[in-house]
Amino acid sequence: MIRRPSKKAALAVGIGAALLLSGCGAGSRTQDKNAAEVPCEFEAPGSATTVNVLAYNSSAIDPFTNTLVANCTTDEVDVVHEPVDFAGQVQRTTTTLAGAEGTYDILETYGYIIPENAESEKILPLNDLIDKYGDTYGLDELSPSMVEAMSYNGDVYAVPMQAQMYIMAYRKDIFDELGLEPPTTFDELRDVAQKIQDSGEYQYPLALPLLASSDIATAYDSALGSLGVDLVDHEAGKPNFDQPEAIQAFEELKSLAPYMDPQVTTFDQPKVQQQMYNGDAAISIMFSGRMNDLVQESNSPNFDKIAFAAPPAVVEGGKQYSTLSVDGWSIPANTSLDEDMLFNMIGSSVSEKASLAAIPAAYPARQGLVTAENSPYGAAANDAIENAPAAEPFPYTAKVSNAVRPVIAEVFTGALTPEEGTAQMQTIAQKVLDAE
Amino acid sequence: MRRREYWILILPSIFVMFGLLLIPIYRTIEWSLKDVNYGEAGTFVGLDNYVRALTDPRFGSSVLFTVGLTLSVMVVVIVLGYILAVLVNNLGKMRPLVLGIILISYVIPNVVGATMFSWLFDGNFGGVANVVIGWFTDHDVLWFTETWPNRIMVGLNIVWAMLPFSMLILLAGLQGVPREIIEAAKIDGAGTMGRHLHIILPSIRGMVGFVAIITIMDVLRVFDNLIPLAPNAVLNGNETIALYTYNMAFQDGGQELGLGSVINVLTILIMLVMLIPFIRNTMKEAKSA
Repeated sequence: MIRRPSKKAALAVGIGAALLLSGCGAGSRTQDKNAAEVPCEFEAPGSATTVNVLAYNSSAIDPFTNTLVANCTTDEVDVVHEPVDFAGQVQRTTTTLAGAEGTYDILETYGYIIPENAESEKILPLNDLIDKYGDTYGLDELSPSMVEAMSYNGDVYAVPMQAQMYIMAYRKDIFDELGLEPPTTFDELRDVAQKIQDSGEYQYPLALPLLASSDIATAYDSALGSLGVDLVDHEAGKPNFDQPEAIQAFEELKSLAPYMDPQVTTFDQPKVQQQMYNGDAAISIMFSGRMNDLVQESNSPNFDKIAFAAPPAVVEGGKQYSTLSVDGWSIPANTSLDEDMLFNMIGSSVSEKASLAAIPAAYPARQGLVTAENSPYGAAANDAIENAPAAEPFPYTAKVSNAVRPVIAEVFTGALTPEEGTAQMQTIAQKVLDAE
Repeated sequence: MRRREYWILILPSIFVMFGLLLIPIYRTIEWSLKDVNYGEAGTFVGLDNYVRALTDPRFGSSVLFTVGLTLSVMVVVIVLGYILAVLVNNLGKMRPLVLGIILISYVIPNVVGATMFSWLFDGNFGGVANVVIGWFTDHDVLWFTETWPNRIMVGLNIVWAMLPFSMLILLAGLQGVPREIIEAAKIDGAGTMGRHLHIILPSIRGMVGFVAIITIMDVLRVFDNLIPLAPNAVLNGNETIALYTYNMAFQDGGQELGLGSVINVLTILIMLVMLIPFIRNTMKEAKSA
């Protein structure tokens, strides 16, 4: 007897289909709409092959990942990308690079960890492949400083796709109403924040990502860098937390506390975005990859009231309060797949067409692509990238930063004085350097 | 049952136990004595990792917090679970509907439930609890950064998630108590409290012990609830043992597998110490049955 499908079964199938459809592109905020149609040509491997891509999901990374997956998948080659957040990517990068065989064949990576993985030969130098395929993908148009950020000891270990730097987003309507100009120094920032607070419109006008378990270390590094001091004196091989600027950086950051939510040490970047979406904050400073979300109508009723500027310098005449982070694609040394095939996939995803399609969600690594016309924060980003403190491309930089992070959080919350904190940080960081 | 049939039936369980229990426990103990990274055999370091863990004040603090949290949650879950079970047991036709609603918090994944729970206290996402508190006081409660408010919020979330389990088990126990005994107690003049304390509760003490055992094991391992609920756990002393393990061993791509293994071994020991009274009780009951 043939049974007709019951209503319940039809409902179950309907719900299942809806779940599957909503699951497609899960984790990708931009989904396929930013995936450019670009050629991705490579020599067929001769048998069914799976290429596993590790890349965290964010508005700025997704366009490149989506382009790679959408264009390089063929009948024979399956390019697979599973959604993952940044912390997950960090963890999986460590595990996949640990053994003789890894899970992933293409890795999203960033300047901060390239020296460590390059020195331990866990990722491949790409110089020969860049020479071979550079013309095909116009790689000579990549920003030299971003290629430099992907290099270690003269070799290039990743093809840069995009850069992120701090940008200041602010409520233009509030600034206009109160006759304020975007601040260019922390002094001006305090002044502007005070005026907004005094106007009674905002209790806490400023929002910074200062999550105690991650972002706060970047914030401190940015303040220190703005004062012209690196985390480490690389020539002397000693930390710089015994310098007066190390204490000054704390004092400057803490001076902003009265204008921020008392729970700001729980704010990661999405939470700062949420403050801007809700209209709980009038000024925020965070990475450029978060900026385009602020002007999306679907995210916030205030989408059309947001303007952008380069972040202020901590003191007048200094570098801006910022950190330059360059993301790129690298090939793990333990992949069993053909390096030429993998490089062609990478090359196609950072081609000019693909990079243009990534604007304004991202700030692509190609020179001169981002303008005030094609990106709402383009002018601010171009200013910010010119004036950000220089990166510290050394294998121990990330380890030092991670090791001192809990102390930074304790100083910011007042559990330690800046003097006590910097003394502890000097000892902790020296241990890290000695172990290196 | 023949000997051969017995072994055919029991062998799959032995393989599963061996693969999923004994090998990991053996490997955990082995790694606790080694300095070991992913993909490496590791080097023997004796008790160095144990010394490192036991001399870290953060570990001591996380043990105290976790044990305190476990005992508090266990008491609340059993008391409220019992009260709920009694109420639900007295329901008529509405019982399945009420049961279904109560069970929702138990079937939601911890991290999802905890995230939604955090929104109740987070002004960024409405903060309903803050609004209600605001009706009575002007004082802003800093749920995520102040130690005790954060502890209360974390505890409430775990109770919210575990209460249905406790209620369900105790309800099953209540339904197994012979009505004749309760009627007899009534005739003998026992009041409501007396019947619960002297007749019903002693009759279901095995079930209460079971709820206690499961609650202890679950709360001692609490990790994912804290990701949305306690972003400042390290700063405000609300780091559980499992979160401490993650922070020390794996955060930022760390590879401290030796130290992580030590904390796991110590956690198993703490768990055993806390479970001994309940296990002894259960064994006594099994012997007397």
